[in-house]
Amino acid sequence: MLWALLGLGAGFTAIPLFTESDYLLNLGVQLFLAVALAQSWNVLGGFTGQITLGHAAFFGLGALVTRTLWGNGVGILLAIIPGILVCIAFSLLIGGLAFRLRGDYFAIGTLALAEMLRIIVGNLLPGISTIPSTALTNYALLPRYYLGLALAALVVGVAAALARSRIGLGMQAIREDEAAAAASGVGVLGHKLLALVISTGLAGFAGGVFAYYHASYYPQYPFSPLWSFEAILMSFIGGVGTVHGPVLGALFYTILKEYLAVRLVEIHLLIFGTLFILIVLLLPGGLVEVWTRFRRLVHRGS
Amino acid sequence: MVTWSKPVLEIEGLVVSYGALTALQGVSLTVGSGEIVVLVGPNGAGKSTLLKAVAGLLHPRSGAIRWEGEELSAIPPHRIVERGLALVPEGRRLFARMTIRENLELGAFTPRAQAEKSRRLDRVYEIFPRLQERQDQLAGSLSGGEQQMLALGRAFMSAPRLLLLDEPSLGLAPRVAEAIFSVLGEFHREGLSIFLVEQNVQAALTLAQRAYILEGGKIVGAGEGRSLLQDEHIRTAYLGPLARGGQSN
Repeated sequence: MLWALLGLGAGFTAIPLFTESDYLLNLGVQLFLAVALAQSWNVLGGFTGQITLGHAAFFGLGALVTRTLWGNGVGILLAIIPGILVCIAFSLLIGGLAFRLRGDYFAIGTLALAEMLRIIVGNLLPGISTIPSTALTNYALLPRYYLGLALAALVVGVAAALARSRIGLGMQAIREDEAAAAASGVGVLGHKLLALVISTGLAGFAGGVFAYYHASYYPQYPFSPLWSFEAILMSFIGGVGTVHGPVLGALFYTILKEYLAVRLVEIHLLIFGTLFILIVLLLPGGLVEVWTRFRRLVHRGS
Repeated sequence: MVTWSKPVLEIEGLVVSYGALTALQGVSLTVGSGEIVVLVGPNGAGKSTLLKAVAGLLHPRSGAIRWEGEELSAIPPHRIVERGLALVPEGRRLFARMTIRENLELGAFTPRAQAEKSRRLDRVYEIFPRLQERQDQLAGSLSGGEQQMLALGRAFMSAPRLLLLDEPSLGLAPRVAEAIFSVLGEFHREGLSIFLVEQNVQAALTLAQRAYILEGGKIVGAGEGRSLLQDEHIRTAYLGPLARGGQSN
């Protein structure tokens, strides 16, 4: 199954060799950001079972730090790293507190924190952020495309490595039964904090790529709760708690959204809302489950 | 009171409360090295509370829990497992959406248990071949008896020296319960100490060397396992008229 992901990565690496279409490259960057957001949310929400609604806070923080540094002349790769570090530091600051909450309270608490941050940023930085005119004239899509691809590959690679590791096993045990995990020797708070650090650090990286990609946007825009909701939606559509699910979900969501947004404008939100409810109720394993069921049928048939 | 060997687990004056409700009101007991000790008592007596406190999942209000002389009550649960105490919780508490194999691997999560992982996995599969046949299936798909086998196997994977079992026969068909008890006997012969909370008083007292009776959060009686089977209070309160009538054979 991992071969499918590697093949997908190779395919996306090769696309710019065959086309110079701005439309496709832009769609590619959006897809990579979607994969990174969904998969990084999945580490904390899917593997570890800590359903956070505040993921956008870290996407926004990463974007803010990277954009500020890059706008002041720091190289983009060098500007991304502090964005990641700020996210990790902030997550550790709030983690101990947030993890005193469980279940719905954790979800609502993280949403409140993210909204606070969004409103603060909106008030402190009300103006639009535009990249310097020199950077604008030299703007090229290709480096954005490959940086986005590298981001997506890293996030999926981290999730895949985690899923097979002893630490990842411990995280999943916490999701299934916290007390039983502790009684099996899993340090619950330590594993939750590690999942949080990995998840938010990767979201910060994604924010950095967002800041590099978008020519102009309001600084509070990447803090919008919609990014958190989209990450959750994509994870659930594809298969929450799996490695392939969020990738599949991001592909499905990005392409369908592109198709629907052109034709139906705002109605696509209604369609995705309905889809989310249907999947949670009827197909809790997401699209990945369709695939496993299909394979089981084929095996039985042969 | 006879203590058969050097105690490994000593509980002294243990008080545990849930808010205003006091579940354990000064419980003292010991488990000796290589002993099987049973705790019987009605529902709500505090049996599960006692086991959870020993495993570190609940914090006592006062009293002491000592493992080989070391105070456990301030130590987090995952470090208690590391010291060789393994809890088989009430209702199995398996990781339902993970495979049988993953559940067993999680049993061996501590660094100390990692070292013995493959040897212990072989042993669990030898004792419960059914688990090996189904090792890639989700734990949630197992029958009640198989789930209890897995819960027992998971605890065994942690390289325990004392097994804490909370009603392992609950909800199982008599033949399956018998199989579980016979595995416990086998573990015991291999040198494991066992502290067992059990509703099936007849089977538990037959297996046990010593037993305590817990009622309303207090120890109200103690003795050797088989001799307690003849005890008037035990027979009327726990074994019922059928057992009393059936003792003649």
